[in-house]
Amino acid sequence: MNLMPDRAYPVGTVRSLLASDRVTPATADALRRRLLRARAPDGEVFDAEAYRTLEAVCARLIPQPDRDPPIDVAAELHTRLADGIGDGWRYVDLPPDRIAYVRGIVGIDQTSAALFGEPFIALAGANRDTVLRALQAGVADGETWQLMKSDCFFEELLAQVVDIYYAHPLAQEEIGYAGMADARGWQAIGLDARDAHEPAPLGTSR
Amino acid sequence: MIAVKEMRRHRPRDVVDAVIIGTGAGGAPLLSRLAAAGLSVVALEAGVQWRPDRDFATDEAEQNKLFWMDERLSGGGDPLAFGKNNSGIGVGGSTLHYTAYTPRPQPDDFRIRSEFGVGDDWPIGYDDLAPYFDELEAFLGVSGPRAYPWGPKRPSYPLAPLPLNGPAQLMERACAEAGILTSPAPNAALSGSWYQPGHGWRSACTNRGFCQAGCSTGAKASMDVTFVPLAVAHGAEVRTQCFVTGFVRDPGGRITGVVYTGRDGEDVQLCDHVFLCAGAVESPRLLLIAGFANSSGEVGRNFMAHAGVQVWGSFDQEVRPYKGIPGGLISEDTHRPPDADFAGGYLLQSIGVMPLAYAGEVARGRGLWGEELRRHMRGYNHVAGINILGDCLPAGGNDLTLADELDGRGLPKPLIRFTAGDNEKRMSRHAEKIMRGLWDIAGASDVWSFDRYAHTIGTCRMGDDPDRAVVDADCRAFDVPNLSICDNSVFPSALAANPALTIMALSLRTADRFLQTRGKRE
Repeated sequence: MNLMPDRAYPVGTVRSLLASDRVTPATADALRRRLLRARAPDGEVFDAEAYRTLEAVCARLIPQPDRDPPIDVAAELHTRLADGIGDGWRYVDLPPDRIAYVRGIVGIDQTSAALFGEPFIALAGANRDTVLRALQAGVADGETWQLMKSDCFFEELLAQVVDIYYAHPLAQEEIGYAGMADARGWQAIGLDARDAHEPAPLGTSR
Repeated sequence: MIAVKEMRRHRPRDVVDAVIIGTGAGGAPLLSRLAAAGLSVVALEAGVQWRPDRDFATDEAEQNKLFWMDERLSGGGDPLAFGKNNSGIGVGGSTLHYTAYTPRPQPDDFRIRSEFGVGDDWPIGYDDLAPYFDELEAFLGVSGPRAYPWGPKRPSYPLAPLPLNGPAQLMERACAEAGILTSPAPNAALSGSWYQPGHGWRSACTNRGFCQAGCSTGAKASMDVTFVPLAVAHGAEVRTQCFVTGFVRDPGGRITGVVYTGRDGEDVQLCDHVFLCAGAVESPRLLLIAGFANSSGEVGRNFMAHAGVQVWGSFDQEVRPYKGIPGGLISEDTHRPPDADFAGGYLLQSIGVMPLAYAGEVARGRGLWGEELRRHMRGYNHVAGINILGDCLPAGGNDLTLADELDGRGLPKPLIRFTAGDNEKRMSRHAEKIMRGLWDIAGASDVWSFDRYAHTIGTCRMGDDPDRAVVDADCRAFDVPNLSICDNSVFPSALAANPALTIMALSLRTADRFLQTRGKRE
């Protein structure tokens, strides 16, 4: 695949935008809330072992070796499940979200056991990816996947994880997104155009 | 908007002339028309009245509050996404997050059966709606070209076109080289200041690019800054956070009251007439739950969704696809392509995209994850797209039914089944080939396509035959003397144009026909 120039913003860009008058109060409030650490899981949906597996799965779907601390995708996913926050629809082939996720984590361990004889958490990174690819392709072994299509579940899980990660202001900084600087709107909207009040990506000058 | 304390209010035990269920593109225009004619009218809206300048963030996750989040079950061979894709709640309905892309359908769209022998003709035609298109474009303040290159002659759009963003510029250049005619798109967002009767001045679009997640400035002509305030100024009441659960009927089958759950619990609003304008999912769902208006057996059937395949590519130029109205450029050269192997046609449009929406498509449509996904997303600022809006034929098995599973109110969840037919698939392949060719000309790399279907259409279709349709050409239910249905559910065919403008036109016509025949037919 073609590698495009990295348009990341320097670390701190979003936080300095939020401290400026370039962001409307409604937008700043929403982003500040999300910059706070996610609510810690309380065992309501998953037991401790299943939650560790979920964390390990999230870390393969969105690896963050460059972030310390990483964006806590699993905790936010847990919050959504615990609070019953859906996206307005689901595949009729999947059970309600909470049931699907609890079963899905069990199923991931079943597939791990079938392929490598060990639970997911005990596998090395490359083998974890092999398990997840089997789910995605709809060819995962395990009793769970006889009752629930693994590719449907994987798509749902991946969509949620991606939605949570890229909703985070620091992930938006990573991709050079400046839409939150909304107080004035944009005048320079064509190709290779940048407004004077727009942050400058890494490696560029004004 | 008019101060709420000045709004005329009715008591539920007052017999009002009409109750309107829903305040989107189907409900709001007729609400204002009936109020202007002096009728006492109450709109029941499931959601709240937003103050966009204060309540709307430029943040996709925060704006999920604009979508209908009661769960819908999706099945069939090509299950549709609901939620963000095509639902709305709040005063203004899904116009709160529509793209405000307002091309007119063309005359032949209404006669697809006559032309191709498939699908269904409308019992009304372009000429019946044309005066309303004229009126709407002049009322909403549509921005567009002075002379629109396709379709019948019409008045110039009242405002100049909005500026072209990166994706629109790329598509314009590629189409020029490929010999495809393009035009700046007609769009109901303002390119200049505009005085809105009943509301006040609306200011020009600031190119914030967030049409699909709520306009915070009022530049976009959603119903909450256009028809709803006009209706309230004419004496309409808009009652918010009222979810309709059923009807009270007399032994003769007439509706005497609308049952709803409001802020203070369950109540019944007495009325002479009901306009059901809750969209192609909630309107049929409510009728199926209530168990009437369905002697034809057509309620919930003929569900359609526009073919909407997208082609994305990465460019050397910086695109910043979050700026400007998403769909800046249009072509209708593909309305009836000479080499078509399908019935009907489609329009082409350039597309920008917000980051979460794009990431979600990359995940679901392309299946990227891990470091590969993060690398792709770091190129987000270089991504641009083209998509189509194509007709869709009704098909057996594409329908809405009630599921066994209940929602939080104890009502059955809707199950929508959709499988794209051969016609939709052939149209999508035809379009994908053209769009990939254009992106090759434009210099794109890493080109990929996302097969998708958009909008909810059908489920209470109109027609002349009571055995085959739910409502007549005036949108009046065949089975219930004082029920009208007016939203995208009544469309007999999908039309190769974004639906909002046509829904609004139908809404005004439904009100006018109701007023013309009032007291004569019942």
